[in-house]
Amino acid sequence: MSPCNAPHGIRLPFILIGLLSAATAGAAEIHGTLTVAPEFLTENPSSPYYAGSPIIDMPRRGSRQDVELKLQEDGFNAQGILRQQVAEGHSPEYHGIANQFYYDGAMASGLGWTVGKKVVSWGVGFGFKPLDVIQRENRRAVNPPPLVGVPLAAIERFGGRDAWTVAWTRPGQGAGESDDRDSAVALHWYRLVDSDDLHGVLRVSHRRQLEAGVGATRIVGDEWSIYGAALYQGRGPMRPGGSYDGDAIKAVAGAQWTGESGTSVLLEAWDDPDAPLASATPRENLLLRVGYDDRDGFKPYLEWLVTPRDRGIVTTVGAVVDGNRQRWTFGIRQFGGGAESAYAQAPQKRLFWLEWRLAAF
Amino acid sequence: MFRRLLVALLFAAPSAFAADNVSALLKAADAFRLPAESVRVETQVELYRNGVLDKERLYTVYVKPGRRSLVLMKSPSEIGQKVLLLADQFWLLMPESQRPLRITASQKLLGEASTGDIASMTWSEDYDGAVVDEIDCPSPPVGLGDIPLPAKPRPCLHLDLAQARSGVTYARVELYLEKTSRAPVKADLYVGSGKRAKEAWYGLKPVDGQLRVMTMVLQDDIQANRRTVIRYRSILPKVAPDEFFNPAALVRNPLTDW
Repeated sequence: MSPCNAPHGIRLPFILIGLLSAATAGAAEIHGTLTVAPEFLTENPSSPYYAGSPIIDMPRRGSRQDVELKLQEDGFNAQGILRQQVAEGHSPEYHGIANQFYYDGAMASGLGWTVGKKVVSWGVGFGFKPLDVIQRENRRAVNPPPLVGVPLAAIERFGGRDAWTVAWTRPGQGAGESDDRDSAVALHWYRLVDSDDLHGVLRVSHRRQLEAGVGATRIVGDEWSIYGAALYQGRGPMRPGGSYDGDAIKAVAGAQWTGESGTSVLLEAWDDPDAPLASATPRENLLLRVGYDDRDGFKPYLEWLVTPRDRGIVTTVGAVVDGNRQRWTFGIRQFGGGAESAYAQAPQKRLFWLEWRLAAF
Repeated sequence: MFRRLLVALLFAAPSAFAADNVSALLKAADAFRLPAESVRVETQVELYRNGVLDKERLYTVYVKPGRRSLVLMKSPSEIGQKVLLLADQFWLLMPESQRPLRITASQKLLGEASTGDIASMTWSEDYDGAVVDEIDCPSPPVGLGDIPLPAKPRPCLHLDLAQARSGVTYARVELYLEKTSRAPVKADLYVGSGKRAKEAWYGLKPVDGQLRVMTMVLQDDIQANRRTVIRYRSILPKVAPDEFFNPAALVRNPLTDW
């Protein structure tokens, strides 16, 4: 579970006032959702990275409770969350989060503008999206909370089969301590050519200097999609001490088959210079995902994430069950593989999660 | 000699509907579903399991010529989801990621209420075929309350249709049209493997002095205990701007004024 950003709480009252005003005016669409998401983990004391109590108090049980409100009226959109987070051995924490708060306006037919805090995803890929230069979504997290948008001002142009967006993210904030906190100017270009989706991105920022990438998705027949994307970064990831690696390239390639029975198989490979966990984590990853949709709201899946260089394996089994207004999500993730692999040496061994979500109105 | 001629005429009668006439038949049948080329359709979908209402979904569908449809999910549990269909190409937008995701034709069939059943409202642009028979119109099964039993037998044209383009929801359709009015009565819907996936029954009501299909009941063959009732709450002529049918624009256009 990712920690909440306290400064968002300052802005949340304004969102709530806006939501309530609009609701009483009766002119807006307003929706509310309640989420309860407990998580449990088992430790791996044999891990060299394991430091149990009292050095590091790693809660084995925790839960996130969200009350989420969404409002939309004309071009105005807001999404806010009141969150209670509890963890074993800790006092409950309460946060207000302004996930999104923006206005989409139009200057002319096919020419629009956006100002505010918005989720902006441009990536191609399933487990890894190198073109997500603005919204850095952690797709490999289990049970992630709703995304928090990025403050920006943007202009967008839409044609019949193409589009482009120029965005100034975190305007006036200057260099940030991480990529997603760094002020930048970014461009996204999209074009539909025959049965191919083509994407291009360009980003200029303090930390990475220049980033440029391209991606494409092709549909083959009724059942196959193949895709790939690559991003060049003028500077690689920042190392401890503040130094940077040289230029780097992130890349992903994958294929997905979905049969008329509802079964689907996805195979994806990627190279990520910003590999998570520890510096020992290999950059190269292979993901195999087998899923099923029974067309009645039950969607189980099985995933294997493999790091071929050190033979690490992460196995995930999960399912989503959709009811009329309720959604249940649950699963287990296990870290393992070769004894010397980064995943086998992770301080966590297994993760169990459950999420109950009620769309109240 | 006379008897031979009579028999020959009887057998020749169905095939008298040549390909051009089949196209005209399908256009006439489409007119019972869409009153104009560009429309906004408010749709309520009820999902029954073993005869008991299990789920309810609301959709707003914008249809434009050129096989273009935009489906907006309006139920609280699906709010913000959109599906765009441009001929044989499809995109899905999930509100959590705000990223238009390219999907295949088989993925379009997934979900509780198939997007193809909701967004595809015509046959004439997607199918070719022939009239193979002229029979009494089939009667809906007992207990299909939304489709009343006819007071007396009516003659029906039985059409066997195959997909004329890639990306259509069903590879083959056996369609039954009332002979005199060309109103759709029933359709058997087959997927690419040749298996019958669903049986569709059409319920008509007068709207502004014209008979329109206002209900479609889908009996699922793959999950026999499932029945889907699609109610068209309103079908209004409406021309949404072309820019709304751009995949990249899915992330911004709420279409509240349309």
